[in-house]
Amino acid sequence: MGLREAGRRERSGTAAAAATGDLDDLLGAVARGDQDAFEAVCSRAVPTVLGVVRAVVRDPSQAEEVCQEVLLEVWRKASRFQPGRGSAMAWVTTIAHRRGVDRVRSERRSAERELRAAVHAVDYDDVAETVEARLDRERVRRCLGALTELQRESVTLAYYGGYTFREVAALLQVPEGTVKTRMRDGLIRLRDCLGGQK
Amino acid sequence: MRLRRYGAEPHTLAGAYALDAVTGADRAQFQRHLGRCRSCARELRELREATARLAGAVAVPPPEGLTERILTAAARTPQLPPAAARIAAASPARRRALPRLALTAAAACFAAVAVALGAVTLSARDQLGAAALREHTIAQVLSAPDAVLVTARVTHGGTATVVMSRRDHGLVLTTEGLPQLPPSRDYQLWLMGPSGDRPAGMLPAPHDGMTGPVFATGLRPGDWLGLTVEPAAGTSRPTSHPILMLNLAA
Repeated sequence: MGLREAGRRERSGTAAAAATGDLDDLLGAVARGDQDAFEAVCSRAVPTVLGVVRAVVRDPSQAEEVCQEVLLEVWRKASRFQPGRGSAMAWVTTIAHRRGVDRVRSERRSAERELRAAVHAVDYDDVAETVEARLDRERVRRCLGALTELQRESVTLAYYGGYTFREVAALLQVPEGTVKTRMRDGLIRLRDCLGGQK
Repeated sequence: MRLRRYGAEPHTLAGAYALDAVTGADRAQFQRHLGRCRSCARELRELREATARLAGAVAVPPPEGLTERILTAAARTPQLPPAAARIAAASPARRRALPRLALTAAAACFAAVAVALGAVTLSARDQLGAAALREHTIAQVLSAPDAVLVTARVTHGGTATVVMSRRDHGLVLTTEGLPQLPPSRDYQLWLMGPSGDRPAGMLPAPHDGMTGPVFATGLRPGDWLGLTVEPAAGTSRPTSHPILMLNLAA
């Protein structure tokens, strides 16, 4: 509740409208070549994009490079974003995760990384952050905690570790079909748990 | 749960797909399924809202200068026009062959280029046979009943126009305004798909800023068309980041 009110308050502010405006609307302006709108998109999206790419890619300088590619793709393809088909942030993070995974898979083909490394890829506590980000993080952590262990491991190894479902199955030594359904069930539960808490 | 028994259904891959945990043939299979299954598309959208939250949960403050570098690079980077986006981003089910008139215009445009380049080739060397064959195959793709036209901007400048026919498993590409490369480098085309990346030829030298038409054959389901900058001799696998990625299935 409090968060929703905070969100409304932010959006109604005029001075910082560009920085806090609705990401969907901002992307519409970006599609028309508006560089100020793109700067506002960056201020909103770069921390998340960099975060997810860094979780997957690990190497900070490579993560920055991929992050830049992601934002440039957002700039180039802003006209392709369709507001009716999901949120702008989901569109951006889908691009980010895909690029991060592409990068890490092309490098991982020869050298298999250790399970432990992936599981610990997410260090929740190593960064200074805004109150909003911390609250969001807490919600996600709590909702992840509500999953079964196999659901949680399947989801986090794939998303933060960049592993395929077949690799996750091998790492966890469970059948591939099981991992596949746990990923889906886990995400559905996560969605339901997070739903309405935007 | 009853649902679990149908583990082999592509539908159950929605979670793994939303997590980018599906590759190769699995990915192609699910994408095909997605084109036919409206409820899957809706489910995928919802699951991606959940993965977006997973992303938000690991947000980090960007290091100094990163955003400035991005803004500087963006100012130099052309954007995809909405019209091209509409064609290229339409879902497979909704995508249709272009109106006859547009295709005819495109074909005429290609034909003009083909003629111009044909003349160049003729005067250059004894490639009459190859050129004639190429023009024939190009004409075949352009006149195919399922021909679809897609245009896209290329990273770092220029545009690419592709006419493709799935029936003929082929496509014809022209480019305009690609940046000139040093003599040691050339543009190389790729078909990139679930069955791996296959070289699809080098772009010939530009003529009045235009290259092509180049004909590529052997299209397979799920293929993307990629363009990279490679050593002039060409390579068997892409060694640089694609400056163009066109989803041929979308």
